[in-house]
Formats: sequence, C-alpha cells, structure tokens
Amino acid sequence: MRLKSAAFFIFLWYVVAFFTELPHPHEVAEKFFYLLFTPEPVLGKTLLEHAWASLLRVIFASSVAFSIAIPLAILTGWNRNVGEILMPAIEAIRPIPPLAWIPLAYIIFAPFPNTVQISQIFIVFVGSFFPCLISVFDYARNVPEEFLEMAKVFRANDLLILKEIVVPHSLQGIMTGIRIGLGVGWMSIIAAEMIATSGEGLGYFIMTMYQVGGRVAEIVAGMAMIGIVGYLMNSVLLRAERLVMPWR
Amino acid sequence: MRRLIILAVVFAIILAGCQQTEMEKKKVKVVTMSPRDMVEQLKLGEIDAFVAWEPFVSEAVVNGFGKIISTSHDIWPNHPCCVVAISDKSNRDVAVALVWAHVKATRFINSEENREKVLEYASEFTGKDREVIEEALERIRFVEYPDKEEFVKYYRELERGGYLTKKPRDLGYDSEDEFLKDLLYSEFYNYVLERLKENENWVPEKVNKKVRVGYLTADLHQLAFYVAMKEGYYEQVGLEVEAKEFANGVMEMEGFKNGEIDAGYLGGAPATLKRVNDDISISIIAGANNEGSAIVAKDAKSLEELAGKKVAIPGFGTVQDFLLRIAAEKAGLEIGT
Repeated sequence: MRLKSAAFFIFLWYVVAFFTELPHPHEVAEKFFYLLFTPEPVLGKTLLEHAWASLLRVIFASSVAFSIAIPLAILTGWNRNVGEILMPAIEAIRPIPPLAWIPLAYIIFAPFPNTVQISQIFIVFVGSFFPCLISVFDYARNVPEEFLEMAKVFRANDLLILKEIVVPHSLQGIMTGIRIGLGVGWMSIIAAEMIATSGEGLGYFIMTMYQVGGRVAEIVAGMAMIGIVGYLMNSVLLRAERLVMPWR
Repeated sequence: MRRLIILAVVFAIILAGCQQTEMEKKKVKVVTMSPRDMVEQLKLGEIDAFVAWEPFVSEAVVNGFGKIISTSHDIWPNHPCCVVAISDKSNRDVAVALVWAHVKATRFINSEENREKVLEYASEFTGKDREVIEEALERIRFVEYPDKEEFVKYYRELERGGYLTKKPRDLGYDSEDEFLKDLLYSEFYNYVLERLKENENWVPEKVNKKVRVGYLTADLHQLAFYVAMKEGYYEQVGLEVEAKEFANGVMEMEGFKNGEIDAGYLGGAPATLKRVNDDISISIIAGANNEGSAIVAKDAKSLEELAGKKVAIPGFGTVQDFLLRIAAEKAGLEIGT
C-alpha cells in the first residue's frame, strides 16, 4: 500500500513538474543526497547541519514549554477553581498564531544579547505550549468522578489523588500533547528562521537559497528535509508512547 | 530493520553536529542584517565585525565603535561597485535620458567647486552628519561607467564560488562574450559621452515619461541619483522619477523581477548574480562608483583575527559578501554561518 502511495505521489510530482517550474523528483533527490554531507557553497553548511540546528532549537524550546504546560494543565484540569480562572484567558490567547508573536518578541527581547535566537526560541515555545496544554487539560479534567469519589471515601489526601489517579489518567494526554506540541514547534521554527537571520537552520537555508536565486532544487530538498525530520520526530514519539503505555 | 535505519539517521545527525564545533576555528561566522543595524550591533558587541557600504563604515569609525581592518581598495583595488541598470533597453530615449542625468550628476559630484553642495546633499540623502560624510566621501570614487575588464571579475568569481547555477547558454546566448556584452551595455553611455564631448551643454530631447527607479537605503555610492533629482536633471529631460527604496541589491533585483521598478542603482554582484540565476533581464547602462566599502571590526586588527568571529553582511550575493569572500580567502579563512 505504501509503495503504491509513494509511486502515485512521485508520478503526480512528475506531471506537475512537467508543466511548472517545479524541479523533477530525480533532480531534487540528487541535490538532497549531495547536500546531505557536502556543504552548500553560499552558506557553507550541509543540510544535516541545518536540520540539526533547527532541531536543537525546537527541542530546547519545547522542553521548556512542556515542563510548564504539563503541570499547569493538570492543575487546571483537576482543580475546577484554578481552571475557571485560567482557562478563559488561555482560550483567548491560544488562537493567536505563533508567528504573530514575532514582532513583539523582538521588542521584548531586544535588551538581551542574541535577540534573534531568544525570540525564535520564544516563538517555538508559544507554538508548542498551547497544544500540549489543551491536550493534557482534556484528560486531566475528564478523570471519571467515581475514581475521585472512591479515593475520597478511603480518605486519600489531595497529593495522593493527584499522584495515583489524575496524573496516570492524563498520561495519554501528556504523550499526545508532547507529540503535537513538537510538531507545531517544528513548523514554527522553520517560519521564524525565514524571517530573521539566524545563521543556520532549514528555514534560513530555504530563504537564502531563494534570495540568491536559481536554486529551486535546493529549496525543495530543504523542504523534503523538513518533512523527513518532522515525520521521524512523530514516529519516534509514537513508538515512545507505546513504550510508556504498553497497555494501549 | 526500520529501527536500525532510524538509529543510523539519528547517529549521522549527531555526528554532523559534533563535527561542526571542531571545524569552526578557521571559519568566519557570517550573518546578514541591514547596514543600519550593523552599526548598532557592533556598538553593542553583538557582532565582531561588518562589511558595509558607506556611510555606515565611516559612521562606525567616527563614533569609535570599530576600526577599519581592510578597505575594499585593499581587497580589490579599483573594483566596480554600484551600477545603473535598466530592465528594458529597447526604450532608447528613456535610457539615454537616464544616462545623461546620471553623467551630469556624477560630474557635478566630482567637480571641486560643488564640494559644499555635495556635502549637503550627501548629508540629506543618508541622514548622517558632516563629519561622517566627509570621511565617507574619501573612500568612494564616483564613476560614469565601470571598467569592463574588472567588472567581469564578478561574473568569474561568482561562477567559481558556486553561486551561479546557469550558463549563458541556458539564458539563450550563444557565448559568454555575447552575454557579457548584453549585460554591460555601454551603447547609451558612449552616445551620451560623444554628444557631451561635442557640446558640453547638450541636453537630450524631453521624453515625458514616468520611470520607477530603485535605490538602496542610505547608500552613499548612489549619491548621483539624489543629486540628479535635486539638481533637476531628470526634469530637464522630462523624466518623472518615482523612487523606491530597497534593503540590498538582491532585494532590488527581486523588484526588477516583480516589475516594481524600471531602472535602478544597485551593486554589480547582485545584478550579475540574479541576472544569471533567475534570468531577470537587465542591462547595466552606467556605473555609479568604484570602491567605497570596508570591513570594520571591533577588536580584531587583521583579517586573520576574524577567525571564529561573527561578521555581518547586507545579504548573500551582495558586493559586500563578495568582498568578504575574497578577503577571507586571502587570509586563509573559510566562510561559514
């Protein structure tokens, strides 16, 4: 099935490439494998180095985001009072796309050294924070009432309920949240890199290739790399999910 | 099996990441930003050096933010820099009118008696004070047409550096010579030159057309454009000029591509680069200046000391990028990001 899908996709690509400026798949594949280990002359870096740079930023920023979003979501989902205060505000901020934060980020982080880097990390943070928060929140809020009632009957204190019932029940939400958060973060970093100079990164690579001109194959090769990294990230996390929750 | 593939890819990525730190010693770290930001960033110590056009070099030097470690004269003596390009050379009247205004303005700038006025115009055009302008003008040679032999070096070096992705044949030319002849199209200039030689006060016929002209942000190299406007040379030939500002020459070529401008003042490197790579049809009908850029550093005292330092350029494919690459190669350094 997968082979058929791939063959169909490549066929479609050839058809489109025939009529437009889009480079043919074999040209892109050639460029892709060439640039994987050979530095590209303008920026002097290989595709892998660019991908690594982007990936590091995403991993760093989303780790920070998750370590704040997960506890916060469990707290808001479990405790109705906290939820009532926080959720409306979060729901209001959540629809603002990460990219809309860019100008503000530059202004806020202007006094810090390395404004661009910090802003990019902030944008990825915003991108991965909300999906994770919402996902965990949903699970934490929907802990079956019977469990909580039963725990109260046995005089369990809040800490114990949190540890033994709410957190385990939210585990699925946490794993999904991390997966989706990383995905959104990955999209945000590419866009953020396109806007300002970052020295390296796949978004920067694509944009520079466009500016220097005449490099469609490089651009598509960069896009392919973005897709591959995103896909790998997703499948690694799906695997981890199965490892953490073997009962599912 | 699939697990193995994933592991191998992850391992390769980590390996590439580690190698990068080892190799950075002999590399110059290049970042891009607008020249206006460079001065500020150098002052703050965010970057260690920059390569920019005047008056930003002089601004940094006069204010004591950095020192010149190499002028573009040191890197490539008498190098052509900014040029005047036009997108449609079939419109002869407009081209001749533009060249005439440009030549008049250039001669105005170069004649000693106008010094006071030139300083005033330069200050207005760039928004810098007198001290900076005086220093900056020292390093710029305003010319009417670039030296063709020298200009070809842009083409050769861009080709050698792997910047160019197409050959003249791909652009529909039979040979390189034919392509270069079309790129450096001096016929209009020669005509204007002849006519002015016969009669110094010759003015071409009024064309009564509107032209959209691109120029770069506060680039003192392009002073002739401002002078031609202020001295009314465009009016004399019936050109209604609509000026459009761009951040660097590569961006300005995008402007040509998207039909935003009909003519423009821009660097020779981006003009050549994008002419070839994106097949943006332009011809260079006049030159604007030679030299007039420099590498300014905060602490480094020589090119060699730029190893491992962060150096800003206005954009990849600009004249400044080009100069930095030549300088780095001379000093045995590599360009990285």
